[in-house]
Amino acid sequence: MAKGIISWIDRRFPLTAIIKHELTEYPTPRNLSYWWNFGFLAGFVLVLQILTGIFLAMHYKPDASMAFDSLQTIMRDVNYGWLLRYLHSTGASAFFIVIYVHMARTLYYGSYRAPRELLWWTGQVLLLSIMASAFMGYLLPWGQMSYWGAGVITNLFGATPFIGEAVVLWLRGDFAVGDATLTRFFALHYLFPFLVAGMVVIHLVSLHTVKSSNPSGINLEDKDNIPFHPYYTSKDGFGLGVYLIIFCWFVFFAPNTFIEAVNNNPANPLVTPPHIVPEWYFLPFYAILRSIPDLLGGVVAMVMSLLLFAVLPFADRSTIPGGARYRPIYRVTFFLFIADIFVLGYLGAQAPTGYVVPMGQVATFLYFATFFILPIVSKREDKWLRARLPQELLAQFDRTNALAKGQNKGDAP
Amino acid sequence: MSRLIALALCCLSYSAWASEEHKLAKVQVRTDVQSLERGAETVISMCTGCHSLKYIKYRDLLKLGIAKEKVNSWRGSNPPGTSIPSQMSPEVAVKGFGSIPPDLSLMAQARDGRANYLYSYLLGFYVTPDGKSGNHLFPGVKMPDVLGIAGARTPEERAQIEEKARDVTSFLMWAADPHEQERKKLGYYVIGYLVLLTVLLKLMKMRIWSRLRNN
Ligand code: HEC
Ligand code: HEM
Repeated sequence: MAKGIISWIDRRFPLTAIIKHELTEYPTPRNLSYWWNFGFLAGFVLVLQILTGIFLAMHYKPDASMAFDSLQTIMRDVNYGWLLRYLHSTGASAFFIVIYVHMARTLYYGSYRAPRELLWWTGQVLLLSIMASAFMGYLLPWGQMSYWGAGVITNLFGATPFIGEAVVLWLRGDFAVGDATLTRFFALHYLFPFLVAGMVVIHLVSLHTVKSSNPSGINLEDKDNIPFHPYYTSKDGFGLGVYLIIFCWFVFFAPNTFIEAVNNNPANPLVTPPHIVPEWYFLPFYAILRSIPDLLGGVVAMVMSLLLFAVLPFADRSTIPGGARYRPIYRVTFFLFIADIFVLGYLGAQAPTGYVVPMGQVATFLYFATFFILPIVSKREDKWLRARLPQELLAQFDRTNALAKGQNKGDAP
Repeated sequence: MSRLIALALCCLSYSAWASEEHKLAKVQVRTDVQSLERGAETVISMCTGCHSLKYIKYRDLLKLGIAKEKVNSWRGSNPPGTSIPSQMSPEVAVKGFGSIPPDLSLMAQARDGRANYLYSYLLGFYVTPDGKSGNHLFPGVKMPDVLGIAGARTPEERAQIEEKARDVTSFLMWAADPHEQERKKLGYYVIGYLVLLTVLLKLMKMRIWSRLRNN
């Protein structure tokens, strides 16, 4: 019976062929570490955000006079409304933790390098879209930080030359953040995650064209590849279990970690909170924004701090494939860069007084410097290593490089 | 993994970075019905003269387990579905204090320091040298020292007021998140289930991967 149905479908749609090609026969390097679990986790978190979001939207009222109260109704009176809200608000933070680890993995192992440039760029568009979703979602509870945070961030668009004021007005739908802003943010907050889901499909098609990288950076021989299912489905399943334990611990025992106290006060245009701080996942970029004294300069720096990742496939000029595995200097640079981001994040949460400003400027300088020294450092490191590494390893590197160049021709599905 | 933990710690300490100017007294919040009932009693008799609790209905107090007679005496002729109102009209409040006293239903979660802030605020009143009422956490406070901590003479009297503040804090913590106990109870089951599931998933993963070593 089941067989009959499947073959009926297969004559009209390549169901079995897709499952074979993308799952049961999709070749995956056998040496992937648990750092490779985070892409799957990101997809899981996205689905959870969409599901909880849809159910929240059934009770939420995107109206400035009702939004705050409607969230309290969800928290108190809707059956398991508190669970929906806490899953969603904790899920937003979890999303960024997962995505940032996923990106850090990519950086550490050099997975952004040829032939995975498009994969890396679609990932970046995903990050920007998720940031936009989260930013608009954060306005919806209509608390004090929602309101003032949205005010500060929309204000940044005022730095656009010539048409700044018009852009801000267009974004807000009014001269100040208000009901019009809330309603349009809700509409877009509902839309964006579905765009993200669509982009994830593109991301995955691209992945399945170039296949996964692996910790060594060296292209594996066919015998070292294993089918995705059941090996990585079982590994992802276990990783998901561990993730859910940590995630649910926060949801059930410390959900207010991710809801700021200030935001439990309804938005009040007449009272400015003492510190307006964005959510933790924006703090490093916020610190970069603040360390440039001029608004336009700050906005440009902040935007560049995100866009510059796009040049990495070209900026990394090493001929040794992969990332940190065989490249000690690259490894050190990576850890310094991550440490710098943590410093920026810390500074972004502080009031901009005393040491915070100059330290932020130093950290901002180091952030950008990493991108600009990478071409030089990677070239030097390459020369230095080529003189030292054993011949057979270098030969393997060269084989991988040759494959990377030719991959797109013969191997597309 | 260690980076994940570091990030988690980072988020945990994040709210603490925001404002840590005053040392707040730490309060051990209680969740038993007797304490919550005492807290409710104090709040209804001493705070609702000025403050509302608009997200708490009398019916919620019944559900919490407070005796029907008691709740009936609090609500008077209001139906059980009424939100707990403030006795003071907004006009009178603005005339008297220059502002409308904030709603208390979310108050325990609405200040940095949360329960500790609320507790410390209630016990933070003192008499200034020129005989006015001051509060260590709230410069220029207009709210009177309702619990009377500034007037406490003996350690016993102080301890009594501290107890009262603790009950009030416990009740307002419940009011800010009435499902907290239910949530935690469910949480133990969820985490327990997940731990079991994860162990099984790990075993399954190991079994599947063990096939690889044989070839
Ligand atoms: C006589 C009126 C009055 C009474 C009674 C009263 N309050 Fe207030 N309360 C105020 C006013 C007015 C404010 C606004 C802040 C200010 O100007 O002092 C306030 C503010 C507060 C705040 C917020 C402080 C802050 O950080 O913004 C809390 C918490 C609070 N009250 C708790 C209570 C509790 C608990 C009780 C009962 C034990 C109570 N109040 C009784 C008038 C009152
Ligand atoms: C990319 C995925 C998503 C992210 C990162 C995200 C993020 C957020 C954030 C940060 C908040 C504020 C949380 C709070 O403080 O309470 C929020 C609220 C909200 N979101 Fe989302 N969201 C996502 C997807 C969705 C989807 C798909 C929907 C609807 C279909 C949705 C509906 C809502 C609603 C109704 C609220 C208001 C209730 C609340 O604040 O909890 N979200 N979202």
